[in-house]
Amino acid sequence: MSHTDHVLVVDDDRDIRQMVGDYLRRNGLRVSLAADGREMRAALDTSDVDLIVLDVMMPGEDGLALCRNLRAGKHRNVPVVMLTARDDETDRIIGLEMGADDYVVKPFSSRELLARINAVIRRARMLPPNLQVSEAARLIGFGQWRLDTTSRHLLDEAGTAYPLSGAEFRLLRVFVDHPQRVLSRDQLLNLTQGRDAELFDRSIDLLVSRLRQRLGDAAKEQAYIKTVRSEGYVFCQPVVLIGEDA
Amino acid sequence: MNAAAPASRAFRLLPRTLGARLVLILLAGLLLAHALSFGLLFYERAVATRSMMLTNLEQDASVSVALLERLSPAERAEWLPRMERRTYRYLLRPAQPGTPLSSKRAEQVTELIDASLGHRYELRPRAVSTSPERYEVELTLADGQPLTIEVTPSLMPIARWLPWVLAAQILLLAACAWLAVRLATRPLERLADAAASIDPAKTGVVVSQDGPLEVAKAAKALNALQSRIAAHVAERMQILAAISHDLQTPITRLQLRLEAMDESPIQERLLNDVSQLGQLVREGINYARSANVAKGPAVRLDLGAFLDSVVGDYQDTGKPVQRGEGIEASLQTHPQVLRRIVQNLIDNALAYAGSAEAVLRKDPQGQLCIDVLDRGPGIPEDSLDAVLQPFHRLEQSRCRDSGGTGLGLAIAQQLAQALGGRLQLANREGGGLRATLVLGNGE
Repeated sequence: MSHTDHVLVVDDDRDIRQMVGDYLRRNGLRVSLAADGREMRAALDTSDVDLIVLDVMMPGEDGLALCRNLRAGKHRNVPVVMLTARDDETDRIIGLEMGADDYVVKPFSSRELLARINAVIRRARMLPPNLQVSEAARLIGFGQWRLDTTSRHLLDEAGTAYPLSGAEFRLLRVFVDHPQRVLSRDQLLNLTQGRDAELFDRSIDLLVSRLRQRLGDAAKEQAYIKTVRSEGYVFCQPVVLIGEDA
Repeated sequence: MNAAAPASRAFRLLPRTLGARLVLILLAGLLLAHALSFGLLFYERAVATRSMMLTNLEQDASVSVALLERLSPAERAEWLPRMERRTYRYLLRPAQPGTPLSSKRAEQVTELIDASLGHRYELRPRAVSTSPERYEVELTLADGQPLTIEVTPSLMPIARWLPWVLAAQILLLAACAWLAVRLATRPLERLADAAASIDPAKTGVVVSQDGPLEVAKAAKALNALQSRIAAHVAERMQILAAISHDLQTPITRLQLRLEAMDESPIQERLLNDVSQLGQLVREGINYARSANVAKGPAVRLDLGAFLDSVVGDYQDTGKPVQRGEGIEASLQTHPQVLRRIVQNLIDNALAYAGSAEAVLRKDPQGQLCIDVLDRGPGIPEDSLDAVLQPFHRLEQSRCRDSGGTGLGLAIAQQLAQALGGRLQLANREGGGLRATLVLGNGE
């Protein structure tokens, strides 16, 4: 494979920018550096970028604004990993709502950053979603449930929230991004691997059964996730994207 | 010195509240004044009545006795009722047996009658009754018939409605005293209540500034004080947040530089230090923000599913966290804040006990509680409150390697308050700690 992934690092701190760049280069990535939004746009226009590492706290245009603008422009499909200053659930949600694919909290280790970058690129390559869910909708409806993609809650018809664990949510996202399509355990495992997947791999079967329990899928009559013998699983409910105001 | 003791004892006899004291003093004073003026009035009246009686008697006696002398004995009885007055009357009989006059007044009256009759009769006065006071003055008319002047000195009878008026007056006094005291103390009570419920982080007018001038002044001063405290708290948090925040960039640089170095035991130790620094900074920011947390919208949350998701996240990274037997319930709340609290409690349990169990239950008062249980060393009873303070660590029993910045529980506590709940710590029977997040009444 001759293609080298091209990562654009956007950070206003020169040292951090360069050190991150050096590390990523040493690990086989092609790296461009940008100090602000202007340089970032210039880099995007002159070369193909596979992923952007974007610092949230920057003078002038901050990372959140840059990310939002990016998602509205022609480079909307470039994955973004945010460098956030704060380890706070609310910030994470804001980052993901603005269209970031993942985030790393400062101060971070370069190894952690590299792992995230690789995971996000792999996910984007693996199986392009047939629904552009992440940008189109905050709420995804299927069966009697709605899935709130920013807060990771399932909502029942009365509006009561049933939170999902990170792994359950990622698995469900993979399913609703690819409805009516048989997904193998390997595909699911790869797509579901999240931030801490390198620490512990939970078997997909166990996760599926937990998710079924949460969705109220009866063992005999599986209305949501069907087992396809010797192939994997298929999400068999039609999926509806619901607007922001729903 | 000695005088102070009885004074304070007398003071102790007073009722405890200002209101009751004021009512007591006011009422006692008013009643006393009232009683005094009534007494004066009665005295005046008694004097006036007596002098009136004497004047009447003086004018009357000579005429009446002269008239009776002129009348034939048969006609006398017929005239007697016409001569009768309220305090004295004439009787055609000898005086009843009695004692010699004892009161000065009676002697005075006798002398008066004697003078009025021109000392022409021999008067034989005697007291016949003391209660009511009554005495009779006997004389003998020219034809030998005995005549008795019966004197019953008494005040004008009091009108029957007078006691009612008195009672009404006293009631009125009591009511006025109560009203006045209430007027004076109510704003004071309101001020005290308002002061007691002040939220130290809030600014602006927190205590109503109306009411009497003095109370308004106190309220104003209190509001100013409150603003200063709030500004202080905010400033403290801002400084903490700013320092922590500005430290993040240099710490990141430090970490990246260290990682670029060749691997060595020293590098490892330095990286360890930097990682602790980073954690401290993160927690510092979180603590600074926890006092004024951005809660996001409240949603109806299924607490069972919530605990499952939190526990699931730990299990997926291989941490020994279990969901214990409990109830199912839902609650209107802020899931992100709640998650943060429970995560902090579980992190704490993992750091000190190595494993944790989360349970949803209702306490005896019917309030929803999330328990995070561990079987670690627990916390000495006298430190249970102290560990909720920021940067407090039980250094002896809990070593630094067990992680933690000493802020986790303080953050959880602050966030619990932001949710309208509270955090309680207790040692479990059989060892370990029970951290309880009390969430209030669900439906």
